[in-house]
Amino acid sequence: MPILSAKGVAHLYNKGTPSQSKAIYDINIDIEEGELVGIIGHTGSGKSTLVQHFNGILKPECGQIIVDGTDIWSSKKATREARFKVGLCFQYPEYQLFEETVYKDISFGPKNMGLSEEEIDKRVQLAAEYVGLPKSLLDKSPFDLSGGEKRRAAIAGVIAMQPKVLILDEPTAGLDPRGRDKILEMIKSYREKTGSTVLLVSHSMEDVAKIATKVLVMNNARVEMYGTVDEIYSRSEELREIGLNVPQVSKIFEILKKSGLNIGSAYTVEKAAERILSLGGASV
Amino acid sequence: MIKDITIGQYFNGNSVLHRLDARMKIVLTVAFIVSIFFCKNFWSLGLMVLFTIQTVIISRVPLKMVLKSIKPIAIIVVFTSLLNIFYISGGTTLVDGRYIDITTNGIFTALFMATRIVCLVVISSMLTYTTTPTMLTDAIEKLLSPLKIFKIPVSTLAMMMTLALRFIPTLIDEIDRITNAQKARGANLDDGNFIQRIKALVPIIVPLFVSSLRRAIELADAMDCRCYGGPGRTRMKQMKLRFRDFAALAIMVAFIAGIIVLNYYFGAVLIK
Ligand SMILES: Nc1ncnc2c1ncn2[C@@H]1O[C@H](COP(=O)(O)OP(=O)(O)OP(=O)(O)O)[C@@H](O)[C@H]1O
Ligand SMILES: [Mg+2]
Repeated sequence: MPILSAKGVAHLYNKGTPSQSKAIYDINIDIEEGELVGIIGHTGSGKSTLVQHFNGILKPECGQIIVDGTDIWSSKKATREARFKVGLCFQYPEYQLFEETVYKDISFGPKNMGLSEEEIDKRVQLAAEYVGLPKSLLDKSPFDLSGGEKRRAAIAGVIAMQPKVLILDEPTAGLDPRGRDKILEMIKSYREKTGSTVLLVSHSMEDVAKIATKVLVMNNARVEMYGTVDEIYSRSEELREIGLNVPQVSKIFEILKKSGLNIGSAYTVEKAAERILSLGGASV
Repeated sequence: MIKDITIGQYFNGNSVLHRLDARMKIVLTVAFIVSIFFCKNFWSLGLMVLFTIQTVIISRVPLKMVLKSIKPIAIIVVFTSLLNIFYISGGTTLVDGRYIDITTNGIFTALFMATRIVCLVVISSMLTYTTTPTMLTDAIEKLLSPLKIFKIPVSTLAMMMTLALRFIPTLIDEIDRITNAQKARGANLDDGNFIQRIKALVPIIVPLFVSSLRRAIELADAMDCRCYGGPGRTRMKQMKLRFRDFAALAIMVAFIAGIIVLNYYFGAVLIK
């Protein structure tokens, strides 16, 4: 049974006004437990709109969202449960921080779940550890942190709810390469340690290639493709047609393959290095 | 819900009303609002309604948008009408109840009140629908500039108004965004008693304040960088009165004269 599925979902913005627009439609997707799904697509293709349906922030115009076997709009209780089962971290989440200390801010979600003090404390410590926030920062005001630290504190606030599905909407937007790698590394190890399902919205096909197991491609308000990284990235022609660029290394590898070199394929620099080295018989 | 606010909303168009000088439009709107309270009988009231409808037609603003501006005051109109019907005495008594009487005076007053409020709101919204907020504040600045003699910082006040209007849509978007983010962390905004609901607003108001302050500081810096506050600020678009503005003025004068004549000719409808 898939942990998360959408059946015939569509959403309209500004319904009933002249500016009414179809943000997504005809969405049918099943996501299995434990996957790390990268969601890519050009600007305005409906990625953010789609993920906001999974925890019931947006209500679909038609169709169903099923989390862990229950339709999240079947009852008020089901909707509220979906909020905790599916943790959604918005684009630029640092602007949601509000408490006096980072510790209190991270504990906001668990508190809303009605957990005991000890449980909350345990979860906050664990979440801070996952995102790599040092203990000394927990007693600071969230407004005194650096941009990257704020981002991590905000993500910790969602992780502390220990959702079965974690959704991150462009968690690396606006960070420097090192901050980006840290966040990606954190997402990867979080999934490995907890076994939860993760959905990662991203503009960078390199980032997705680095950590995802599956890829979902959005185009013009619809799901264009869904499959493993290898399946999707090998269709570079189609990807280019809808305005997405496969990573530079994969382009090089394609050219090498065309010129008759039996080298396989690679989508990240690390993987490429491995392949090239193995060509010469050496190992990394 | 919060997106229904229409104050300061501009409807893009190119009607005569859109092209009128903003200063003239403000003066005429004020004149109309004053004249609303002159109407003493159904003839002058009718003239006022006709004038309002004609204005809406000329502006080419869709009827739907005009109705939207009335929607928020519908409750006030109904409520004051009911109060008037039940509490005003005089004239012929229609219903003689135990505690309340319904009289012709009550019904007439209610009718007058309701029509006046609706016309007032429609005409004022015509002003904002056909004038961009920037033009509006420019015009207010010009109209108030005589106050500079009394050392009142008119330009600064006008700039503050422009900025406030400019940031209303931004703030509304921001509230939506923050609310969603906190809902995703399980914030419960819809249940609970009064105190609990107020408390539930803290996670929304604090980030809103923080980002508003940040935005204000950035804006102030940006304005400083462009030398705002230097002496002798001039306008890119100079306002000039044209023939159509004087024509509009003439029409308004004729309208007010018409109301006075009708009042005088037919007398007041309310019986003392
Ligand atoms: N609050 C809103 N009101 C009206 N239209 C909206 C709103 N949010 C998004 N849209 C529209 O819906 C469509 C999908 O937007 P969405 O934010 O889901 O795109 P996205 O794929 O997340 O883009 P990006 O990569 O830039 O974040 C866009 O055409 C956008 O203009
Ligand atoms: Mg987005």
